[in-house]
Amino acid sequence: MIDQQANNSQLLKMTGICKSFSGVRVLTDVQFELRAGEVHVLAGENGAGKSTLIKILAGVHTDYEGQIFLNSQPVRFASIHDAADSGISVIHQELSLVPSMTIAENIFLGREKCRGLWLNKKEMIAESRKLLAETGLDIDVTQNLGSYPLSIQQMVEICKALAFDCRIIVMDEPTSALTDVEVEKLFTIVGKLKKSGCGIIYISHKMEEIYRIADRITVLRDGQFVGTAAAEELDRGKMVKWMVGRELNQQFPRHKSAPGQARLKVTSFTLPDPAGKPMPAVNDVSFSVRSGEILGIAGLQGSGNSELLNGIFGTYGSSAHGSCELDSRPYKPTTPANAISRGISLLTNDRKANGLVLGMNIVHNVTLAALKKFSPLGWLKPNSENKAAAKQKEALNLKATSLKMPVDSLSGGNQQKIVMAKWIETSPKVFLLDEPTRGVDVGAKHEIYELMNKWTSDGLAIILITSEMPELLAMSDRIIVMHRGSITAEFDSEQATQEKILHAAMGVQTN
Amino acid sequence: MTKEESSAKLTKLSSEHWFTSPTARALGALTIVFCLGLLFNADAAFYKWGTHRDMLRAVSVYGILSCGMTLVIISGGIDLSVASILALTAVSFSLFTIHKGISTPIAILACLVIGALCGMFSGAVIARFRIQPFIATLAMMVFARGMAKWVSGGQKISTAVQQSDGTYKYVNVPQIFNFINSKVLGDNITVVTLIFVVCLIISWILLVKLRYGRYLYAIGGNEEAARLSGVPVGWTKILAYGMSGLFCAVAGMCQAAQELQGDPEAGMSYELSAIAMVVIGGTSLQGGRGGIWLTLIGVLTIGYLEKILSINAVGEDKRLMLTAAIIIAAVLLQKGKK
Amino acid sequence: MATCILKGENMKGTLSLLIITLLAGFIALTGCSKKPADKEDKGTKAKWTIGISQCNLGEPYRVQMNADIKSAADKHPEIKVVYKDAQNDTLKQRSQMEEFISAGVNLIIISPKEAAPLTPVVAQAYQKGIPVIVLDRRVLGDQYTCFIGADNKKIGESAGKWIVEKLGGKGKVVELKGLMTTPPAQERHSGFLQGIKDANGIEIIFEADMKWLEPDARKEMESALARFDKIDLVYAHNDPGAHGAFLAAQAAGREKNIIFVGIDALLQEGQAYVKQGIIQASFEYPTGGKKAIELGLDILNGKKVEKEVTLSSRVFTKDNIDSGGQLLKD
Repeated sequence: MIDQQANNSQLLKMTGICKSFSGVRVLTDVQFELRAGEVHVLAGENGAGKSTLIKILAGVHTDYEGQIFLNSQPVRFASIHDAADSGISVIHQELSLVPSMTIAENIFLGREKCRGLWLNKKEMIAESRKLLAETGLDIDVTQNLGSYPLSIQQMVEICKALAFDCRIIVMDEPTSALTDVEVEKLFTIVGKLKKSGCGIIYISHKMEEIYRIADRITVLRDGQFVGTAAAEELDRGKMVKWMVGRELNQQFPRHKSAPGQARLKVTSFTLPDPAGKPMPAVNDVSFSVRSGEILGIAGLQGSGNSELLNGIFGTYGSSAHGSCELDSRPYKPTTPANAISRGISLLTNDRKANGLVLGMNIVHNVTLAALKKFSPLGWLKPNSENKAAAKQKEALNLKATSLKMPVDSLSGGNQQKIVMAKWIETSPKVFLLDEPTRGVDVGAKHEIYELMNKWTSDGLAIILITSEMPELLAMSDRIIVMHRGSITAEFDSEQATQEKILHAAMGVQTN
Repeated sequence: MTKEESSAKLTKLSSEHWFTSPTARALGALTIVFCLGLLFNADAAFYKWGTHRDMLRAVSVYGILSCGMTLVIISGGIDLSVASILALTAVSFSLFTIHKGISTPIAILACLVIGALCGMFSGAVIARFRIQPFIATLAMMVFARGMAKWVSGGQKISTAVQQSDGTYKYVNVPQIFNFINSKVLGDNITVVTLIFVVCLIISWILLVKLRYGRYLYAIGGNEEAARLSGVPVGWTKILAYGMSGLFCAVAGMCQAAQELQGDPEAGMSYELSAIAMVVIGGTSLQGGRGGIWLTLIGVLTIGYLEKILSINAVGEDKRLMLTAAIIIAAVLLQKGKK
Repeated sequence: MATCILKGENMKGTLSLLIITLLAGFIALTGCSKKPADKEDKGTKAKWTIGISQCNLGEPYRVQMNADIKSAADKHPEIKVVYKDAQNDTLKQRSQMEEFISAGVNLIIISPKEAAPLTPVVAQAYQKGIPVIVLDRRVLGDQYTCFIGADNKKIGESAGKWIVEKLGGKGKVVELKGLMTTPPAQERHSGFLQGIKDANGIEIIFEADMKWLEPDARKEMESALARFDKIDLVYAHNDPGAHGAFLAAQAAGREKNIIFVGIDALLQEGQAYVKQGIIQASFEYPTGGKKAIELGLDILNGKKVEKEVTLSSRVFTKDNIDSGGQLLKD
């Protein structure tokens, strides 16, 4: 068991924190408090505001309302260095290390020990060895970091944070790339830190982990503070209710249509992690989706749901194992072009990065995936392209004065519609939607829901990933929940509740 | 006013004003240079048609290289090997037609194949092995130049054919050379210029009329989005560099014909001129934007600048500085777009 | 979205290494010239070994120089010649010289890339007792056996005088200069001015730097033709330049009214042009290869040679091309 906190002195207090991005409220009047020697878990769904709060604490966002007190002294960090100098250390999910430098160099990156002008390499190497030994790691600190596996790299990241006098350590999903043995090592380190009087802010989506390590738990929901409680006083059910307990009063225009034959059947789908982590991104997943049906895949960050869709689409080539069947014929994901020709479309979750060619106009973006249709024998037919784009503009209610406008001048909702138009032009049989309403205004959102209705009534099979619980519950006919690559639960839409889904998303196996 | 309406208004404004379009900006630089010519007309030499015809002749080889370069740059890459492939095909063409007496159509075909193969090799290395275009074409630049020197034995291949006893026999200049060097349409335009125009038209068809061109723009604009939309990124790139190699071969044959010899040292630094012409025309080095007519404007801008400096017998030092100044001015003119 | 596949990364590394190795190999191979002049000469009957250190074989002039050395050396079975090409790299030339020294050759003939960096190694050979003939380009100081070279200034002056005579003392001349940052171009220009200085009727109406390159010469000549209705003569610092000017004039239909003069007179280039009537005169810039072997043999046979040997130059015109040109008076 984790040791109880040594003393009760308050290290950190944040009150009345508010933050907006481009007019959109992300945090409203959030409060948070950290004591010395405690592990305080910060919990919440995707988009609850945890990352933003941590970034404010770390000095990444300097423009916010509210106050921060460090040891009862009011502070306002001007930069990341400022925060770091005040004893705040953040271990991010994305490693902030340089693979081509040695371990010792990485640990002391930015805070090198010097003797006058010269680097004191001997001292840094000795110091690094000592630090790593404390974590139970006995490796050569003069080797390049990149030659070690990702789990070791994550441990080095932790040691980097420990190398300096920090009183507050933030750990954001630190166990996502670690094996069980390493997780235990991590918990041992956390125990030592507690004893030495540090305060640890721990973000995790794994139910078991939270209850194993937390002294206290704070829950955020939709950018607002819901509550703080000691771990033993807050049972799982209550915590989940805090995380999702919103009024479901939004109207969703979901017309259910009678589902037909199975369109896509996936069996034992396993995908190695594209970023090289030791654990597979998708682990032995099986499901099927029928025509006219919307299958929702719920999951928090790191669940692998996005990777699953991309794996099926062929984004990662043919590195996946398992078998798929499309309309009862075998299908092997190889390339996106192959998937498209078989009738699978994928709406990615980042349209600016890989959904649209921003420099091109609306027409060219709409016809891009189905260009062969508009260019018999390779010769383009601009008239047919313009006609098709005009039709889509009508059908999707696109707000643009001219089809020749470059797409980067349009709003998020319109841009998303253009990407959808692009896929509709390919006449898909299975439509994979990854966060289709992200960054889209309310009006456009509703139009997109209506479109999804129309598509299903036309016989398409849709797989839907969305972080917005209400949307997921309303639009899906069936829901499967993923956690760290595996399916933890399956529901019919009538059986599903926000709490059940979140339980499963945090690793609690049901069914 | 909603966000859509206000941004729509802005776009309408800028598209209504043709003056901010890339074409207009490129023409701006060309107009400045042209006016310089009118001002400093070197005893009315600038007003003679012959001067313009000669300028076109001199710039055509660069222009042909720029056609291939435009394709490659739009796809988001660069081709540093154009000058070396030009030298290799110039040498090969001379070797085939002057020394070996191979029939003209076969010689032309062989040279086109050589150029295309070199280009496609670069393209394959870039597409399959994900090596940076700069590095891959730099390697081809060195390799092709070495091949040119090896094939030619380090000597210029001219109508003076060395016999086994060390003396020289003089053969006639091949018919094809004379043809490429000749003037048509009442002595008003050289054949090389017409070849350049044909290359321009081919590039236009590729970029604007064919599906392939759309793929090039998509890859240059956002390669990942293109890939995820089913665009065959690998093949498109290989073809782009292959076409560039093909254009280099055409340029090489024209160069050989104009020099009446195949010089393994031909074309030194031509690649920089080709890139400059494409960039001044307004095609962005990042890819995804631009077009062949913009390149034509860039070619004419630099061509006229050189000619004006030449007829005014401007000293070499001032020439270099003035050329650099015009290049910077032209690029700054491009900067105003959103 | 991650797009690189783990397997692909490793393959890319190995394959790019392979490509680089192949490239390096090819570059090295093409670096070694395979011209006949570079093969080692006959067998073990040779009494003496002569080392030739050539700064580069990219210039046809130097290819000719080596060829002249070879044809002269072939006539003497008692000498064996070893050729090394420094590919225009000063440091390479220095180490090639050091190789000659440690191999203990009997004589070295060197055409250095630059004077100052190669002076020490030439001195080293000289002081070790190996006679060194410096050919065409100088080193500093006097630690060598003899220097053989042509005088660009004299050649330019002779050209100027020839031009004055040919034009009868007056005419409009276009001068197409070589790269004016190099001494040969500067000397051929200043010599030319010296040669025409007394003829007030000779007017240089257009001059341009064509950097020794034929296409550039052609472009400059086109400009001159566009600008001037009357051009009597073109003086180009090398034959390719004269040839380019000829092509420009021919395209304008004016080649018959212009006299073309070039310098270098390589057998297959300048002399060929004179023979074909393309240029009217070419002034020889002698390679000195033959002279170097001659003097080398003298040295090896114990005779004393002059420290400074200036090669004489010839002028080739249509009337004397078949009889080997006409020697220029000093």
